[in-house]
Amino acid sequence: MSAAVGVRPRAAAPAPAGPTGTPPRRRVSPERIAGALTLLALLIASAVALGGVGIDPAAMVASWSNAERFFARVGGLSFPDPGQLLYFTGLTLGLVICGTLLAAIVSVPIAYLAAANTTPGNGWRAAARFVGVLTRAVPDVVLAMVFVLIFSLGTLPGILAISIHSIGMISKLFADAIEQIDEGPRLAIRAAGGSRLQEFAAGVLPQVMPSWVATVLHRNDINLRGSVILGYVGVVGLGMQMSFAFKSLNYGLGLGYALVIFVLCVVMEVVSSAVRAAMLGIAPTGRGIGDRVVRAVAPADLHARLRRPWDRPRVRNAVWGWIAVAVIVGSVLICDIHWSELITVWAKVPALAAQFWPPSFGSYDAGTMFGAMGETIAIALAATLLTLIVSVVVGSLAARNVAPTRGLRAGMRLLLVLVRGIPEIILAIVLIVITGLGAQAGTIALAVGGVGLLGKLIADSFEEVKRGPERALVATGATRLQVYAGATLPQGARALIGHTFYLLDTNIRAATLLGIVGAGGVGYYLLNASQGSNYGTVTAIVLMILVTVLVVEGLAMWMRRVFR
Amino acid sequence: MTNDETAAETGVLQLTGVTKDFGTTRALEDVTLAVRRGEIVVLLGLSGSGKSTLLRHVDGLERPSSGAVEVLGEQVAALGGQRLRSLRSRVGFIFQQFELVPSLTVLENVLTGSLAALRGPRLGLWSYRRSARLAALGHLDRVGLLDQAYQRADTLSGGQQQRVAIARALMQDPEILLADEPVASLDPESSDQVMALIREIALDRGLTVLCSLHQVDLALSWADRIVGLRHGRVVLDTPTEGLSKAQVMEIYGRVATSTTQLEAIQVELLAEGVAGAGR
Repeated sequence: MSAAVGVRPRAAAPAPAGPTGTPPRRRVSPERIAGALTLLALLIASAVALGGVGIDPAAMVASWSNAERFFARVGGLSFPDPGQLLYFTGLTLGLVICGTLLAAIVSVPIAYLAAANTTPGNGWRAAARFVGVLTRAVPDVVLAMVFVLIFSLGTLPGILAISIHSIGMISKLFADAIEQIDEGPRLAIRAAGGSRLQEFAAGVLPQVMPSWVATVLHRNDINLRGSVILGYVGVVGLGMQMSFAFKSLNYGLGLGYALVIFVLCVVMEVVSSAVRAAMLGIAPTGRGIGDRVVRAVAPADLHARLRRPWDRPRVRNAVWGWIAVAVIVGSVLICDIHWSELITVWAKVPALAAQFWPPSFGSYDAGTMFGAMGETIAIALAATLLTLIVSVVVGSLAARNVAPTRGLRAGMRLLLVLVRGIPEIILAIVLIVITGLGAQAGTIALAVGGVGLLGKLIADSFEEVKRGPERALVATGATRLQVYAGATLPQGARALIGHTFYLLDTNIRAATLLGIVGAGGVGYYLLNASQGSNYGTVTAIVLMILVTVLVVEGLAMWMRRVFR
Repeated sequence: MTNDETAAETGVLQLTGVTKDFGTTRALEDVTLAVRRGEIVVLLGLSGSGKSTLLRHVDGLERPSSGAVEVLGEQVAALGGQRLRSLRSRVGFIFQQFELVPSLTVLENVLTGSLAALRGPRLGLWSYRRSARLAALGHLDRVGLLDQAYQRADTLSGGQQQRVAIARALMQDPEILLADEPVASLDPESSDQVMALIREIALDRGLTVLCSLHQVDLALSWADRIVGLRHGRVVLDTPTEGLSKAQVMEIYGRVATSTTQLEAIQVELLAEGVAGAGR
């Protein structure tokens, strides 16, 4: 996520001074100073925001009795009948998979145009990246609101909302993967007379495939968690059932659905990380017993060799391939997509577009709205700071080269998977029960959810640092903590900044959505405006969100460049 | 035979006054070189002397800043698109780092050599015609790797991978074979195997070979002709027939630039009792 495009050499080293001269002064570029000051300002703003949110552990403990009373009134969890539950689970999964897959397909040409080494020209590249940033900036909930209006009920609004919003991230990561390939094989194909498209299919695609599949699986997890909130604006599936249950004050059933979603997310997370690990780690040796048997019995005749033997890698690939095909076909079938709507829908667009324009704050005054947007930003900043503090500790201990024991590392990794599995919305709903409506619940929900993401990213990038410097420090007799501070942290610091900005970016969007369930900020007004058919207001709020997200995105890009 | 002779006179490969600048660095300076059909030529020189750049010009992977490159009767610099690709398909290129696609099978890697003759991108073995697959298997048999056809390319040793790359070049049915330090990343035993294989194939098929090397011994035993490069200039162009090792070592002294390397050569020659080596 943090890979900066276009590597430039670092600033020249300071001129060496002669042995008799004064010691050389370290020269710091003005841009770096500005960057550091911005970071400091953000840090202070986050601390202030955190203070403003007023997280009060004592009060939370005190209000625990609220929760107890609440749960007593709920009278325990209840679940719908299994058949229905199974259907909605399948529907949610199918919808999410279809959406992610559609995004992945669309992302291939966008990534091709956006990657520095495959793009046909800088104009194409800029256009492709703009598409990526724009699709990423519009929250999927907003897209879903609009699509629910245009399409009659069904799965299409959800699929389209998920896929359009996912294009930004998927195409960016796809392009990053293309930029990191080994150019040699591609050059060899060019030297053999291959065309650009052949170079891509034979030289690039096989190299990026594992990373692309990992990206799609990762995004699929995110979309599954995100699909909960889509239920609140009318996308079918488990999320919608949950929102219905809460709206009809059937809290037991609502929490039952919440538990099912949580379990589903954790299971999906575990499955997809197992698949990713298996795929990235596979390196068949060709020396297995099966291979040797195949080789021994294979006749020398060339015609007989035309068929690829069913050796272990092929069997494994075929099995995984057919499972994938089955899952995809199942997803499409259960979604029961009304394809014809994709054509008929265009007639409705002009009338609808007229409703959304011009943007206006409607019955709200501008001060309220900007205040709400400010609250959203404050929630995001405060949550990011909280997450950062916790994640540095948890993430470090989850890194193989930092953790004092393997058991501790395994425990931390498991904790991260579990936390990552919790949809923030569900966390927020549970927290609202404990702390009451407001920013406090939103902040804590985001902060906890963020640990799952940032902690993992920190652990991974710490495990990727060069081992040499660490070993060198160990050899000088440094303690574990000294090695960590002297070799691991400095090497991982840049990745840390990049990942933190990525989290801030994610949090700003998530913070707007949390408002929808009553956890503070501008999301509340967004849902109100949409339910009251004040579409001009929806447009105005979306524009505010868009501007904020783009500013943060720009800031993050600048930071990555400065602290490269 | 007459065709061959006319071709031999015109040369299958002709560089005339080629100069190439990368920014402020001059990689090639006024290089003129003609190679006859069926000739096996070794480019000798230190790293950075311009050997790779010269080879890349022949395949149109680089364009000269000035001068002309004529390959198989075509002006390479004037070509583009389909015509350049079809010229490239007649010229095989073997790289120091093999440059196989690691995650594809050996057979698929060999098949990528036939892409220029096909339209559109290809994904998977089934997308190549049966006859092409048979031919690829035949080439793999030729380089002695038929048994590894369905293994992933990255499971092979360096020497095996280079042989796969040779099979890939054969798939193009080339007239010229370019090889850029083909054995620099290999152990001595694999080196000998690979060099012998290239030479056998070249003789079998009457290929014209232009190969860069830095081992003098190997060049002497292997090539018909040695061309020395130094700082992008041709400083030597001589047939190997009748050359003694001592002469070549002395020649290498002219090719090599650094004094330490010269001293090393002198020590070696003195040790072998070659008179006048230090002069």
